[in-house]
Amino acid sequence: MRSLALPIAAAALLALVAVAALQLVVPREPPTAAERAHTIAAELRCPDCQALSVAESRTAAAAAIRAEIAEQLAAGRSAAEIRQHFVARYGDWILLSPTDPLAWWLPALALLAGAALFGWWWIRGRRSSMTAPPRAITDADRRRVRDAAEALDD
Amino acid sequence: MSTRGGLLRWVAVPLLVVPVTWLLFTGLGRDPRDIPSPLVGKPLPAFAATTLEGEEFSSESLDGRPALVNVWASWCDPCVDEHPLLLAAARAYAGELSLVGIVYQDSPDGARGFLARYGDGGWPDLLDPSGRIAIDLGVTGPPETFFVDAAGIVRYRHVGPLTEEVLVEQLAVLGLDR
Repeated sequence: MRSLALPIAAAALLALVAVAALQLVVPREPPTAAERAHTIAAELRCPDCQALSVAESRTAAAAAIRAEIAEQLAAGRSAAEIRQHFVARYGDWILLSPTDPLAWWLPALALLAGAALFGWWWIRGRRSSMTAPPRAITDADRRRVRDAAEALDD
Repeated sequence: MSTRGGLLRWVAVPLLVVPVTWLLFTGLGRDPRDIPSPLVGKPLPAFAATTLEGEEFSSESLDGRPALVNVWASWCDPCVDEHPLLLAAARAYAGELSLVGIVYQDSPDGARGFLARYGDGGWPDLLDPSGRIAIDLGVTGPPETFFVDAAGIVRYRHVGPLTEEVLVEQLAVLGLDR
């Protein structure tokens, strides 16, 4: 059983790599107008529902926005122009992903800062425990132990 | 150890706890519908549509005097609550203030029924079957009211039912404060 597991895993991995490579090599067809419209709609928040994109929602407002997107695409406007059209009316609120790059970098930066802080704390802890030499035992210590042991015997 | 540990405790912990607490307090207290309109300070987007009476209406006819653009629907309960205020404003500032309603996701019959029941102020109510006007105004749901000055610039957008306080205050901004 175990002799089979490794070749199967290797073959699966190879197939996975092959598929991924094929995806990169084979030229993708340019998206159709409907696909482009869907991509734009998926990035816009549906105005009269909670936490749904215009592409997913079935409300009348979402349908109206989808129609507007299709119309503007047909008129030759770019995806960025169409997004801007809705931002000018609804504000950044209409965009489902934040536009401020800080929103994307801040969590990663916080994670890195936390890891750095933890690493510093950990290394410092190890170094101090390693470098601090054990105190040499003095005669006074020996005397105290002897006295205590004698006290116990009494 | 005690000084370093103390420093860490008294500096690092508040440094983490205070911003998170502040974020939760300010973030959770906000109304998710209360989004500042990017149209404030900008010209009202132009629109043209058919009124409930079947007449053509263009937003160009609003030029020259202050206007209220009220987005409403007969299925919208808060719209019932604010309707008397709109009627009162129309009466108080007849000839000085234009009012125009935009019927949001509603049938003409539904809208007519609402006016028959709660009072028809006589101002034009535009049908918006495709929802295009509402989207051009960035409407998230009725009722919403846009306060537009005589130059056609949006001065304020109110989400939710109007209150007398808001109405009086914002009409004063438009120069109507008798």
